[in-house]
Amino acid sequence: MEESYDQELKFEEVKEKSGIIKNTLLWILRNIKFLLIPGSRLEELSQREFDYEKTISKRKFIRRLKSVLTILGIVIIFVIITFAIHGAWIAPYTREVANGILVGSWDPPTPDNLLGQTKFGRDVLSRAIYGAYSSLTIALPAISFSVILGVIVGMISGYYGGWVDSVIMRITDVFLAFPGLILALVFVAIWGQRMEYIMLAFGILGVPYYARLIRASVLQARELPYVEAARVSGSGNWRLMFRHVLPNCIQPIIISFTFDIGGIILSLAGLSFLGYSDMSLIEWGNDISQARLHLTDAVWAVFWPGFMILITVLGFMLVGDGLRDALDPRMKNQ
Amino acid sequence: MSMIKFIIRRLLSLLPVLFGVITLTFILSRLMPGDPIIAHLPKNFTAEMYDEMLEQLGLNKPIFEQFVIYLGDLFTGNWGVSVTLAPGTPVWNLVLERFFRTFDIAIFSIIIAAIIGLKTGVISATHRNKAKDTVLRGFSLVGVAIPVFWMGMMLQLLLAFQIPLFPGIGYKTAGIGDPPVITHLRIIDSLLAFDMVILFDYIHHLILPIACLSFITLASITRQTRSSMLEVLGQDYVRTARAKGCKEKDVIKTHARKNALIPTITIIGLNFGGLLSGAVLTETTFNLHGLGELLLVSIQNTDYWVLNGIVFLTTITFIVINLAIDLIYGFIDPRIRY
Repeated sequence: MEESYDQELKFEEVKEKSGIIKNTLLWILRNIKFLLIPGSRLEELSQREFDYEKTISKRKFIRRLKSVLTILGIVIIFVIITFAIHGAWIAPYTREVANGILVGSWDPPTPDNLLGQTKFGRDVLSRAIYGAYSSLTIALPAISFSVILGVIVGMISGYYGGWVDSVIMRITDVFLAFPGLILALVFVAIWGQRMEYIMLAFGILGVPYYARLIRASVLQARELPYVEAARVSGSGNWRLMFRHVLPNCIQPIIISFTFDIGGIILSLAGLSFLGYSDMSLIEWGNDISQARLHLTDAVWAVFWPGFMILITVLGFMLVGDGLRDALDPRMKNQ
Repeated sequence: MSMIKFIIRRLLSLLPVLFGVITLTFILSRLMPGDPIIAHLPKNFTAEMYDEMLEQLGLNKPIFEQFVIYLGDLFTGNWGVSVTLAPGTPVWNLVLERFFRTFDIAIFSIIIAAIIGLKTGVISATHRNKAKDTVLRGFSLVGVAIPVFWMGMMLQLLLAFQIPLFPGIGYKTAGIGDPPVITHLRIIDSLLAFDMVILFDYIHHLILPIACLSFITLASITRQTRSSMLEVLGQDYVRTARAKGCKEKDVIKTHARKNALIPTITIIGLNFGGLLSGAVLTETTFNLHGLGELLLVSIQNTDYWVLNGIVFLTTITFIVINLAIDLIYGFIDPRIRY
């Protein structure tokens, strides 16, 4: 009896091993419908329904991201990043020529200067393209600095609670009590008008905001039962914070991140409009302030830099909106 | 009773923030590059003149002593005398008049933006995904993304320079005098003095700047109201109200709107800070001789005292407005009064 049972088992094993390739092919064939057509599900596969639940909801996320406006935002961001990185190939003139002093000034659009000329005969189109570089180079490190430092500070504050929390929140309140541009202005005036200092100024300004944001999420997430379970099974504080609590708190951070890039680009434009930004950079706000006096006779010099700011920030806002709608847990079942 | 306790508790929690703001302002203004004494003295100055001026301005005392003196002065109203900017003028005089001009614009912008924004947010939420909603969402996206000064310049170009509909620059035409000073707000003063000429002239000058500032704040408020309204409209109690047979507009008015108001009001308070920053930019565009211009000039001239006064005043305004909003919060939502 046992012998035959063993033999049967062996026979089953052998059958299993030889059938692995066949089983894989059959699996692919059976499920190719799921892989290609999102949302089509055969009713009889109740067990597989459970397995594919995760995949389906991921697909829904990607499907939700595919709304027209969000794709437009992504395209705009892609174009702006291309301008920033490959500006020298796209713009009709080089950076030195766009920053130099040439013949003629404030000329209307000609085939030479497609969008007209600004102050020293510089080409508006090239300056509009090269401006993307300075905006993005200042915005991205600044916001990364804010997010990383803000997340750490907010996490410590929310997780430990008690007097640490109170002190950090008071300091945050003090920084948040200053209107943003004014504090940025004062920082840049103190440290000097170089690109790195502007990045640092915007970075410091963003930390209190992200600290508050993540503290709110942490206060909720640390009450979850699996955090307690993880602590009981022996994980230390930092491990708990960054491996268990943090993944729950990321979502508002991601959404804020995209909106904030737009905000920093706008604030940077404001700073350079007031004259407090790095003068050696080609900046959109700087262009607008230089062209201010010629508003009536050289509209193109004022219009196009501002239009570029509008389009860039619009792109980031659209993507932020799309992300927020796609990640929204309440609308997942619609 | 709990309302009064709530107010007192809020005021008490304000004190450390206030102290922090004062300290930070002091530190920042002292860190400014440039030396106000050198800027104040004539070209070839001797060491004695330098020391004399140093002592006169009180800058040779240790920094903590200066800070304590500064604190005392701050609360007795003696904000120092401007040294490099307009030598001899008390800071208080310089700052006050301009502050109220900026404050005028900011307050009216935010009131207009709040009123219109709440309405459009509700419309946008109730007509979701229809034509009105799409148009309003488009406008609010543009409003959030547009730079203030650029929009100001485009409006100046279209409505002030091409078509001379509004004056594009300044806050009053040259010949017009000032109303007698009761509150320092020009609109209210001219109303109280029944001087319609000054009033209309002022409003005529202010329409464009207020339009710029309030458009941007309006966009932000509309977006926030729309999303919080959508959240409220998905709640169970709204469904119950509809099931009970309430008319749709009663559902919105009685049940949904108040609940949707709470996050929106926070945003309005936070936007006021952005409005103050935007006011600095708008003043430069429209030449309004307000606080922003003074701030920029005082930074250029390294005038500690004026800079201190301006930053302090702006921050106090922001804190007071947020305090008012917190109190409104407690007024609307009884759960928050704990």
